Amino acid sequence: MIKLTTTSRRILQCLLALCFSSCSGIQNSINPAGPQADSLSRLWWLMFIVCSIVFVLVMVALLLALRKRTPHSDVTPVLEPPADQERRKRNVVISAVTITVIILFVFLIASFSAGRSMTAELANKNGLSIELNGHQWWWEVKYQDVDASNIFTTANEIHIPVGVPVTFSLRAADVIHSFWVPNLSGKKDLIPGKINTIWLQADKPGVYRGQCAEYCGLQHAKMALWVVAEPQEQFNAWRQNQTQTSMPPLSDSQKRGQQVFLSSTCVMCHAVNGTPAGSNIGPNLTHVASRNMIGAATMTNTREHLAQWIRDSQSVKPGNRMPQHNFNEADLQSLLDYLQNLK
Amino acid sequence: MSTRTIIDVSELPHHEFDTYDPVWWGNNFLLAIETSMFAILIATYFYLRQNFTLWPPPVAQLTDTLRPLPELGYGTANTILLVLSCIPMVLTDRAARRGDRHFSQIGLVIAIACGVAALVLRSFEYAAVYFRWDSNAYGSVVWFLLGMHMLHLLVLTTECVLVAIWIFTREFDMKHRVDIVTVALYWYWVVGIWLLIYAIVYFTPRFG
Amino acid sequence: MSDERAKQPPEISTSTISDEELAEVMEREKGELERTWARPRGLHGWLIDTDHKAIALRYIVTAFVFFVLGGIEAALMRIQLARPENHFLSPDKYNQIFTVHGTTMMFLFAVPIMTAFGIYFLPLMIGARDVAFPRLNLYGYYVYLIGGILLYAGFLLNTGPDAGWFAYVPLSGPAYSPGKRVDIWAQMITFTEISALVGAVIVIGTTFKMRAPGMTLNRLPLFVWAQLVTAFMVIFAMPAVMLASSFLASDRLIDTHFFNPAEGGDAILYQHLFWFFGHPEVYIIFIPALGFISPIIITFTRRKIFGHLALVLSLISTGFIGFGLWVHHMFATPIPQMGQSFFTGASMMIAIPSGVQIFCWIATLWGGKLNFKTPLLFVLGFFAIFILGGLTGVMLASVPLDLQIHDTFFVVAHLHYVLIGGSVFPLFGAFYYWFPKWTGRMLSEWAGRLNFWLMFIGFNLVFFPMHQLGLHGMPRRVYTYLPETGWGMLNLIASIGAFILAAGVLVFIVNAVWALRVGAVAGDDPWAAESLEWAVSSPPPHYNFHNIPVVHGRYPLWQAPEDAPVVRGLSTTKRETLVTSVLDAQPELRFEIPGPSIWPLMVALATGVTFIVGIFTPWAFLVGAILAGGALTAWFFGDPNYENRPGHDTEEKSETVVPPGELQPKEV
Repeated sequence: MIKLTTTSRRILQCLLALCFSSCSGIQNSINPAGPQADSLSRLWWLMFIVCSIVFVLVMVALLLALRKRTPHSDVTPVLEPPADQERRKRNVVISAVTITVIILFVFLIASFSAGRSMTAELANKNGLSIELNGHQWWWEVKYQDVDASNIFTTANEIHIPVGVPVTFSLRAADVIHSFWVPNLSGKKDLIPGKINTIWLQADKPGVYRGQCAEYCGLQHAKMALWVVAEPQEQFNAWRQNQTQTSMPPLSDSQKRGQQVFLSSTCVMCHAVNGTPAGSNIGPNLTHVASRNMIGAATMTNTREHLAQWIRDSQSVKPGNRMPQHNFNEADLQSLLDYLQNLK
Repeated sequence: MSTRTIIDVSELPHHEFDTYDPVWWGNNFLLAIETSMFAILIATYFYLRQNFTLWPPPVAQLTDTLRPLPELGYGTANTILLVLSCIPMVLTDRAARRGDRHFSQIGLVIAIACGVAALVLRSFEYAAVYFRWDSNAYGSVVWFLLGMHMLHLLVLTTECVLVAIWIFTREFDMKHRVDIVTVALYWYWVVGIWLLIYAIVYFTPRFG
Repeated sequence: MSDERAKQPPEISTSTISDEELAEVMEREKGELERTWARPRGLHGWLIDTDHKAIALRYIVTAFVFFVLGGIEAALMRIQLARPENHFLSPDKYNQIFTVHGTTMMFLFAVPIMTAFGIYFLPLMIGARDVAFPRLNLYGYYVYLIGGILLYAGFLLNTGPDAGWFAYVPLSGPAYSPGKRVDIWAQMITFTEISALVGAVIVIGTTFKMRAPGMTLNRLPLFVWAQLVTAFMVIFAMPAVMLASSFLASDRLIDTHFFNPAEGGDAILYQHLFWFFGHPEVYIIFIPALGFISPIIITFTRRKIFGHLALVLSLISTGFIGFGLWVHHMFATPIPQMGQSFFTGASMMIAIPSGVQIFCWIATLWGGKLNFKTPLLFVLGFFAIFILGGLTGVMLASVPLDLQIHDTFFVVAHLHYVLIGGSVFPLFGAFYYWFPKWTGRMLSEWAGRLNFWLMFIGFNLVFFPMHQLGLHGMPRRVYTYLPETGWGMLNLIASIGAFILAAGVLVFIVNAVWALRVGAVAGDDPWAAESLEWAVSSPPPHYNFHNIPVVHGRYPLWQAPEDAPVVRGLSTTKRETLVTSVLDAQPELRFEIPGPSIWPLMVALATGVTFIVGIFTPWAFLVGAILAGGALTAWFFGDPNYENRPGHDTEEKSETVVPPGELQPKEV
């Protein structure tokens, strides 16, 4: 038995903590919050445990093989090793290969059945239906519905009701992106010229972070999104709000802010329903104040961050498509008042 | 006093036809590389076809047809020429094997003429396709198929010229007789691959 | 004319000679043989030298330089990722660096260095004097060098490619990657792919036709089998990347629409083309390393390998199956699930031949007369690291699980475990094993151990935490990450490990430089090994073998009888080697090996003009083709024998090979 000194025990504790830390993460594939991620997580643990055992066994076999030491003087090559030994080794090797094949079959079957759970709800038209369009470097989110008045477009933040399957139709506007919310499911690519489909479901309320998982250029690293899973009533209320047109500006500052918005380059890219601004080159801002994050889940949606983003988004996300703006202080504050009113 | 056996190879020849010569192997593996390339290019042709309801796609200027199929004239003439050119090539091959310098010279000159003619006909084939390489994916892949094969025709003809110059001006030695046989193999391959490409480019759109 | 020659050709005769007389004759011939095969002098000589050993060592040194450059790029990335929201590298710089890192390691280091070992050792291991096509060999090297210079010229001028080593469209297409960055990448591919294909044709031609008498296929060393399987894979895989990069380049430069969905093109087509090459590519890198492991194990266990036939069949089946896996890189695309499942099956199945090899090697080690020299240490390191990588590979093979871990740091961990564990560790073992043969000096054993442990520990520190990072949501190819993700600690550990790994590589470099000057003299066969390269001096003479040996078994040096026959009759005034039949290695020809020439360099430069200037204008293809055609013509018409050039000693020497009649059998 090895006696652990205090130091080595502390090191061991650190290592263990590292191994199992952030198991409760919100962007974590082995912290499942829905049936798909759960099925995948279970497949992961099965494979992990079996593979770890295999690895240990092979390493033990290797170490045992290295045991025998002959004197360094004995270098005569053995071209005819004892036949019975060779026969025994042959049997062991054949058994090992057979076990390998069996394990691979088990994996194949486990994999296949987990795969079925991924396609299970794709034909379901009763759940929620969302169209996702990937842009460099933000997510255009369009909620579909049979009733046209329930269709609306938002960006970078997706709300879903708990316990309801959500089908995503995935498209890309420019290059290949990949939609990945590890707590809820695996990923699927968004490919220009193609339509891909994925379904997922959250069984627990919570916030789950997703991130683009296919290299898409300069700001691939900061193309993330939030999936907010909430109880059905809360979701309905959120959705109801999102379908409304934008909040009209009430105070003078807000009205002035709207003027600033409509008369500057903002309208070239951003849409606000209920105003002449209708471009969809950039994220839809109709309810921007209702979002938790800005910049595709890069910064929290505070007044300060919003100001920084408007003035100089290049310092936050260098290379992103939004130009810098030199608003004077009064204009900027009014603009912020207007934007923060767009709940 | 120990002795050992000597295996004396000093009487072995330097060159021999077919599988004896490393050049045969080298040539054939180069052809294997090019065959893989064409196989993948052909797979690309059929893969892209899936993206089109009409293949070839419609052309605005042609109102009498929805699918402007490549015109058969030049392509078919070229195919017939290339197939027929194998005959003098086989005879040249045989002449090189039996050491007939005069016949090899004639044969190579005929081959060069066929090659040049094929190149000329090929340059007309591009116009027989109703699209340019930059019109759409159909145009791109068809031009690539025709173009890669044309490159081979060019290299083949040039090789014939080089070997011909040698056997006209220098010794008709075994090494260069093997070269003639190698060029002949390349010739058959170029024709064979062309038959496949011809069928695919000119005929598969006509049937389905 | 041909069929009768298949039997014992009448041109071969046998006789006997005493060892004394043989030694005398060889002494007389030696000077002339050395002159015939002499390395040409000076800078000009260096440019035209076609000796396969010289070319191979150039490949190895060049590839190692690229390895170090790729390692520096990795170190820069690790510095950037050591902390969240780090500002050490801008996103643009980071994206160029990870692209150039991957491209360098895959195209400029791994494949060329594996080819180089083949080019160096195949003639020696099979008993030949050179490779089948030495000038083509030299051309292949120059083309590779030009490609590498192109990439780094672009990178150092801040126009390095930045779309990833795989350069997916549409990101790499004309709309989203303006400028020449991706064009530089696409044309570099052309150069390295030409070089690899040339190398493959040479490997196959040499292995098939130039083996010493007695080396039937049954007796082919496992090193040679590995190189042969790899060469076949190169022949069938490289054309796919050639088309992928050509289509990409033409989409960018002349407006074709292969990948433009608006005109019927297809982004997924690019992925199919690239990965049809890309998956075999990793086996092209891995399989030669398997060919290093067997000889090292044989030598350091002092016994014949366990399961020779199983190992050969495993190599071949790995090569075949490797072509059926490529879609496992594309599981997140809209390819139908049923089709994808086939690739899960194949990707798992390839673990079986790998497993067979592992088990056979462990069986060989078991009870062997183990000698724990540095080469064996690196092989043991291979076991620990590669097996772990292979197991994570089986996990990635599963479509559903892959959809979680695809494109995350889990894959980065996996690929480095299999490539570094599976190829780089055996490569370092091979360096320690064969350095004495190249240079005549031994590397330091204790520095070798230091090298090994630094690399082993450093490697695991870098890449093991990445498994967890991937599971915890960290995608690949990100220049930074937010602090809230909690990925900081593991990234820091990985970054520290990177420097330990780098220290290991540095120890190797110091060891090599030191050994070149003052290392212990190696002698012909410092390891008392079993294959033919150890039968000649270290470094070998330019002509490799004075007399082509006759092979009696799989382990020629361990099985050679005292009075083994030798082959004589090859010219000493012209470069000749013996060509034998493919299956049974029966002598067939005295093949003339072309000597040094300037034309491979000229054709390579013309190739360079064609494809580099072709980035800027399509007319370069016409001009380059004419230049290449001219150089090729000069090559064709040029003199095969360097010695007969004007200015060199051109005195026509009569053959001093003693004709058979003169060797009288002596009574014993």
